[in-house]
Amino acid sequence: MNAAVRTAAISDTEPYKQEVAISLKHLRKTFEDEDGNLVEVIRDITLDVREKEFISIVGPSGCGKTTMFNIISSLIEPSDGEIILRKWRPKERRGSQIGYMLQRDLLFPWRTILDNVSLGLELSGASKAECHDKAYDYLSRYGLGDFAKAYPSALSGGMRQRAALIRTLITDPDIILLDEPFSALDYQTRLVLEDEIVSILREFGKTVVLITHDIGEAIAMSDRIAVMTQRPTMVKNLYDVGLARQYGSCIKARSDARYQTLFDEIWADLDIQLGAHRS
Amino acid sequence: MSTVLTAPSSPAVKKTRTPRQRRARQIILQDNAWRCVIIGLILLLWQTGVDHKFIDPFLMGSPAGIGAEAWRMMLSGQLLTDTMATVKATVIGFLGGSILGSLSGLLLWYCKRLARILDPFLIALNGLPKISLAPMIIIWFGSGMFSKVALAFIATFVVATLTAYQGSHQIDQSLVNLMRSLGAKQQQIFTKLVVPATMPWIISAFRLNIGFALIAEIGGEFISSDTGLGHLIFVNGNLFNLNAVWVGVLALMVVAVALYLVVSQVEKHLFSWSRQ
Ligand SMILES: Nc1ncnc2c1ncn2[C@@H]1O[C@H](COP(=O)(O)OP(=O)(O)OP(=O)(O)O)[C@@H](O)[C@H]1O
Ligand SMILES: [Mg+2]
Repeated sequence: MNAAVRTAAISDTEPYKQEVAISLKHLRKTFEDEDGNLVEVIRDITLDVREKEFISIVGPSGCGKTTMFNIISSLIEPSDGEIILRKWRPKERRGSQIGYMLQRDLLFPWRTILDNVSLGLELSGASKAECHDKAYDYLSRYGLGDFAKAYPSALSGGMRQRAALIRTLITDPDIILLDEPFSALDYQTRLVLEDEIVSILREFGKTVVLITHDIGEAIAMSDRIAVMTQRPTMVKNLYDVGLARQYGSCIKARSDARYQTLFDEIWADLDIQLGAHRS
Repeated sequence: MSTVLTAPSSPAVKKTRTPRQRRARQIILQDNAWRCVIIGLILLLWQTGVDHKFIDPFLMGSPAGIGAEAWRMMLSGQLLTDTMATVKATVIGFLGGSILGSLSGLLLWYCKRLARILDPFLIALNGLPKISLAPMIIIWFGSGMFSKVALAFIATFVVATLTAYQGSHQIDQSLVNLMRSLGAKQQQIFTKLVVPATMPWIISAFRLNIGFALIAEIGGEFISSDTGLGHLIFVNGNLFNLNAVWVGVLALMVVAVALYLVVSQVEKHLFSWSRQ
């Protein structure tokens, strides 16, 4: 591991920091492409994700959002900077308390939904019976019980996405990273799933970071929104939202007067960069 | 929590045939009938041509002659002996080469470096017609069955290795990332992702390899052998006994189709998920 990177547990006695689930400090990432050129993707991300909050990341396409998630879940190492997790248990892999739902559903076509969903448990060495019991539980709770024995090709996009979410939740991580979980879905399914996911995650008291291209979705679901700049990316602006929490529903959140104001502000934030990109 | 989407109805599929399936079956039956008609017509024209001296049976053979020859060879047991000799050598070489080849191809996924180093050798070997090795193999292993097994083995091993290796390298990196994000170790990624994801490639290599194994086998028998269908065809060809040559060729066709059917059956079994 890079010497500059330190994953440390914050002591629970520090009252202020206790609220912070993930602390990103001056995160930097530079890739080297095939020709040996350095590509600076993340310039400096400094961001505190609070315990049990729902925070969305909005930014231009290709700015490095997925890269940021890959770093947080320790799939890749940052070039510089620190990631501090509050509940980090020193002997464990950093990823083990983070559930990462990748950009596509990525269900294995050769496994039944039941076996797909229990993949994480299976990898941690749980017995087959244990895996299946728990997986059945989750599947029936989220309306996929009848499809346990079906293969992914038999499911609709929305159901596949829900199966992918269950696969992420089943290992019971404290922190959930969602990378554009709804991008492949039609508008109605999206609205329904947004509500479902927010309520599921809130019920379990999860800390959630959501990447999305959809400003409206971010406003409707989040407690806070971080707007990123064009690549090399930084946090450009942070917005406090909390509409979904206030109304208890993402659909109702969309009819609040603040929804439009926020939309315009965030749009303005992004538009400047889109304009700059075009020129 | 509130499940807003109502759970859709059970996907359980009933096993009764729909009218559409019945129609599909009927079409298959009709197609088979047409195939029989085509074969019958060819045989009829052929035999009529021979009977009326349009076709020289010495150069072409004749259906009646082929039938008589086949009957004679079946009674003497020669046909069975030769067929079994060919099937045995082919199947052993084919299975050995395909299975070990697939395994080595998969294992190359573990050592990217070794794979990179070996890549040009594999490509070169793959392009080489393996039958050109036959004289050497026969010098090393003699003219018995073992040299034929070795030839079929080499021919299928290279194809299987290359296919499995290429297949395992085309696995979507996102799937690997998913496994790693769920805490998978390298060995778990191998057994739970790489092997099943490469299976379709491996099966396609098996299918190709039936043909390659037979070519290598028959080629080896042509060059030097004392039994087998290749031996039968070669010897009778030299004697201008065209009817016997036809019997050998037809027996080979049956062997090839039978092997092909076995592989398709295994494929169907392995990939039941893809038919859903
Ligand atoms: N392994 C890598 N090597 C080189 N460049 C990379 C690598 N991974 C990502 N990049 C580059 O980093 C940039 C950011 O990629 P990333 O996938 O993080 O963007 P993103 O914000 O998630 O985009 P999108 O909104 O399209 O999902 C891209 O320009 C990409 O080409
Ligand atoms: Mg992305």
